[in-house]
Amino acid sequence: MVSKTEEEEVNRLESQVDNGGGGAWEYLSLVRKLKLRRSDKVLKHGCSILNDSKKRSALGSEEWTLYEQVAIAAMDCQRLDLAKDCIKVLQKKFPGSKRVGRLEAMLLEAKELWAEAEKAYSSLLEENQFDQVIHKRRVAMAKAQGNISGAIEWLNKYLEIFMADHDAWRELGEIYISLQMYKQASYCYEELILAQPTIPLYHLTYADVLYTLGGLENLHAAKKYYAATIDLTGGKNMRALFGICLCVSGIGQLTKGRNKEDKESPELQTLSALVLEKGYKQQSPTKLPLLTSALKSLKLS
Amino acid sequence: MADDLVLDTAIRDWVLIPLSVVMVLIGVLRYFVSKLMRSDQVPDVKIIKEGQLVIRARNLRAAANFIPAKSFRARRYYYSNEENGLLHVPKGQGQNPQAQMFSDPNMAMDMMKKNLSMIIPQTLTFAWVNFFFSGFVAAKIPFPLTQRFRAMLQNGIDLSTVDVSYVSSRSWYFLNLFGLRGLFSLILGEENATDDTQRMMQMSGFGMDPSKSLGAEKDNLDIVQHEWALPKFEQRAETVLKKLVSR
Repeated sequence: MVSKTEEEEVNRLESQVDNGGGGAWEYLSLVRKLKLRRSDKVLKHGCSILNDSKKRSALGSEEWTLYEQVAIAAMDCQRLDLAKDCIKVLQKKFPGSKRVGRLEAMLLEAKELWAEAEKAYSSLLEENQFDQVIHKRRVAMAKAQGNISGAIEWLNKYLEIFMADHDAWRELGEIYISLQMYKQASYCYEELILAQPTIPLYHLTYADVLYTLGGLENLHAAKKYYAATIDLTGGKNMRALFGICLCVSGIGQLTKGRNKEDKESPELQTLSALVLEKGYKQQSPTKLPLLTSALKSLKLS
Repeated sequence: MADDLVLDTAIRDWVLIPLSVVMVLIGVLRYFVSKLMRSDQVPDVKIIKEGQLVIRARNLRAAANFIPAKSFRARRYYYSNEENGLLHVPKGQGQNPQAQMFSDPNMAMDMMKKNLSMIIPQTLTFAWVNFFFSGFVAAKIPFPLTQRFRAMLQNGIDLSTVDVSYVSSRSWYFLNLFGLRGLFSLILGEENATDDTQRMMQMSGFGMDPSKSLGAEKDNLDIVQHEWALPKFEQRAETVLKKLVSR
């Protein structure tokens, strides 16, 4: 996760570099450190350093790291010619290196030569089966080919070993949601909440999944997780507010006629509706009628 | 008494300085040799998996109240049931590190390499110092010291009448051996391999039994009382929203 100060720092440096203020290397280092994906900028500024032999040699041994970074950025931007050049330079410098081998395999993948890339990756994995990047590349490759079940299989295999990697859990959760396998997705999001209980987005998505699953128990739980999201975001998350309204009306529908008193916090819905109205009034007054009609339909049902 | 021994300047030029220089050079050499000999340690799948498992179980324990009771119970069962729970270590299977070392020749080999690169140059330099410089009084400390320092500073000279502030060559060797660490970290960078104390720490940490941490984690997990924290969040959300509305 990138903290706010770090993000500001990156943006500041980026605008500085874009306006010709120098500091390109610092910017690139920071992007690499924070693992951001700003490939176009990296490619542009990285190339400007690499093409200037004086600046390049001033980096010392960091030069090769930059080559690697630019190569990956180039692949991301489909500048395969540039990527190839970078990899060639690295190959000359480090013959037989696994790290360069990884780049070569990635180049194959970028060219969509799936079978060859797969072969390259698996031979790399044979040498070092703990290379997390390669495991993840394989998942990405399966996904790129539209082989979603394959991606799930790879991810599960990966998670069997690296089960504390929450990014992988998130990916798996998103894939399951895209396949409408909500039960499995809810497990993944529970895992994410366990790993980082203070991130409201996980609570929100988990609540979405629970709401989609339906059923009285799940709706109650979803309402609670929407409430948690509201608490964690300070009520600024519109989706969570809508979620509360939907959950309460859903619960009302399910318990209708059973004369079961909904004793837990009946105020929550009215409050969130009020906050929603307030928010729309401030942000986009033109859409207010839409909101009021939507809320009305929820309350009536 | 303090001035009755005059040290020849030749001793400084031929004993004191060469000794220090040789010690530094040997330290540097040892660093590079051990760098050459260091084999890439390929960690075991099982060890990595156990490490990750412990992290995950710890997460579960810390944030248990954030997931519904049903999910928590399912997870706890998954981790710690008696048949095939991930954290459950069958009795007698947790092998002790000694046995592991014997069963894995690579590990013993590694230890030996580490030790060899440490012991061989030390014995050689010690023999060299003993052979050529035994009995030299190599230096004098500019302040007086008590008798207790005699063993430290005058190793190799068995004279009780010599003032303690004189340093024998063998003691100078020892002082260099232990005192040059700071210099090495300057020359070779922070993580230099010559740091003996760190190596000792590693060796003692070597015998850490991963199955033990698994068992401990399991016990911890077993006693966790699950109390879903989410119902409280509804009230908290309410207060948050009330504040927003009234503003």
